[in-house]
Amino acid sequence: MLISIKTTRRDLLRATGVGALAICAPAILRPAKAADALKIGVLVADSGPAALFGPAQRAAAEFGAATVNAKGGILGRQVEIVFADAGAPPAEVSKSAVKLMLSDKIEMLIGSHDSAVRQGVENVLKGKIPYVYTPVFEGDDCSPNVYMLGELPEQQLQKTLPKLLEFAKGKTFYFVGDDYVWARTTNEKAKKYIAALGGTVVAEDYYPFGAPNKFESSVTKIKSVKPAVVLQTLVGGDNVNFNRTFADFNLSDDIIRLSCLLEENTLMGIGKDASKNLYSSLGYFADIELPQNKAFIGELNKKYGDKAPQQCTISKGLYDAFVFTAAVTAKSKSLDAKPFAAAAEGITFDTPSGPMTMKNRHTTKNIFLSRCDGTKFTVVDTFTGVPTQQSCS
Amino acid sequence: MESLLITQALNVAYEVLILAVLVLGLAVVMGLLNVLNIAHGEFVMMGAYAAYVVQKAGLPYLVAVPAAAVVCGLVGLVVERFLIRPLRYDPFETLLATWGLGLLLRKLVELGFGRGYRSVEIPIGGSLRILGESYPAYRLVLMAIAVVVLAALFVWYVRAPTGARIRAMVGNPALAEAVGIRTRKLARNTFVAGTAWAGVAGVMIAPLTPVEPFMGLTLIVNSFFALVVGGMGTVTGLFAGAGIIGGLQSVLSAAVSPTSAYLAMLLLSILFLWQRPRGLFPRP
Repeated sequence: MLISIKTTRRDLLRATGVGALAICAPAILRPAKAADALKIGVLVADSGPAALFGPAQRAAAEFGAATVNAKGGILGRQVEIVFADAGAPPAEVSKSAVKLMLSDKIEMLIGSHDSAVRQGVENVLKGKIPYVYTPVFEGDDCSPNVYMLGELPEQQLQKTLPKLLEFAKGKTFYFVGDDYVWARTTNEKAKKYIAALGGTVVAEDYYPFGAPNKFESSVTKIKSVKPAVVLQTLVGGDNVNFNRTFADFNLSDDIIRLSCLLEENTLMGIGKDASKNLYSSLGYFADIELPQNKAFIGELNKKYGDKAPQQCTISKGLYDAFVFTAAVTAKSKSLDAKPFAAAAEGITFDTPSGPMTMKNRHTTKNIFLSRCDGTKFTVVDTFTGVPTQQSCS
Repeated sequence: MESLLITQALNVAYEVLILAVLVLGLAVVMGLLNVLNIAHGEFVMMGAYAAYVVQKAGLPYLVAVPAAAVVCGLVGLVVERFLIRPLRYDPFETLLATWGLGLLLRKLVELGFGRGYRSVEIPIGGSLRILGESYPAYRLVLMAIAVVVLAALFVWYVRAPTGARIRAMVGNPALAEAVGIRTRKLARNTFVAGTAWAGVAGVMIAPLTPVEPFMGLTLIVNSFFALVVGGMGTVTGLFAGAGIIGGLQSVLSAAVSPTSAYLAMLLLSILFLWQRPRGLFPRP
């Protein structure tokens, strides 16, 4: 009797297993069906220190999806965005990424956030779906199935620094940055280019990231050292704070400043009194005179009217990610890692800042050197097709 | 080198005085009423936005001082009546409640002004020569105002009858009530004075920092550390806390590096919380 019950139980388990498989099978097979919407996860800063970019990021992503959908979608399927917050600590965002994959069934991920979050997300994605990372960052990441669209330090500096020195009164540099990987990597690369130009770095100051920093002591040192250029790798509030202090100490007439992450919102905070002789080198400014950009900004203004969130390089990258994916999949006919990678290499796609070409999973792109005039940027030079030095295969 | 030292010394004085100004409202409310107003930074933030609005409207910058005091005082009045008093000034319950209040105030300001940075122009531009060195005029004016206000407060607290009543209420609330001091009204006025002053502090610092809904969060960190180190409820404690935290931060930042300065300040605060939680000069 006992034995007979055991067999029954085993049978029952077996039957349940088969049944469960049968029920789950459609879910597993679903990605193969072409008619369904293609879900793309998009990580944007809804909270945290970068949250001021959140609305612009959402707008750019939605416009990117709409643009792609109007042309027939991706792989013949309409794109549907699933947003998640990237403003939380890396461990939290990684959990959101897992949830996006398992319960929302996203088939690729696009993200605009810091590198710590990216590394966390990469660890949970394990290259299972394509992951497009869009903002400015430091490079040196070749995780599988990850594609980077943002500006790298070598792109922001190599061709820009010689041009910048035309405005400076010498070749001495003073570095001020936030104490984390992006700032330090950028400065290491800057040192090489400065040495090649015959310049010298007189001092480097690093401030704790996210702390209530005050910049009087650095500004006082700058005043006594009198460098020709202050190269800044400060972000957000620190960027605003430093530049306002710098101008208060009356240094902006004689010393020029180049910030490696100065976009439209931060310049608003710095204000017109403090932006004299301040320069920014990025792959996009909302005011650049390109027909692609006029169309991009024009469409967003049409959609949002006065309430259109201020676009900048950080948010615009999300639009690029959709254009990039559409271009790659038109060639690869698949989101699978291998064909996607093969199709991505060397592909050129058009963005609001001009064409970009994917090379070694990073993009060759236009770089603009802008001068701040009040709270607006004026492009003083455009460098077309600036390559990266990244070598991901 | 000498000129560098003079300017750095001015920087230290500036940092200490600005910190004292920021701590003041918090210290009044915490030290005298035992209410740790976590939303203190948000009152400073609202003061800064008041300055922004006044400047945008083309009014003289000084108008922002009464404007911020009135706005923050009124909010303080409402908060006292409907949040602090119903919680019977309980230290822990009001801590949680003001934390929530901070969230609410940030979101309300975000709703009204958006998340982006605003910049408030410096009302007094240019530099002044002091000890042979030029130093930004607005900062010097701020330092002078801070010295005057802090000194006046000290004198008032020691000499004026209201100061005596507050000390009586703090020392023995039941007895104070018995001798005819209206403690409820006194407590309310003290709380409102603290929030109104936070607003004025916001006006003072608005031209120096990025004005955004979350500015209170970072501004307030050092203020808490200053209270922890200095001790609560005494004017000496306030000066000692602001002097040690502001001075340490400023000196180490200039002499070693800003990151180690921040680390040293955190370590010092942990050490105090652990070994001497009442601070250097607590209320007896």
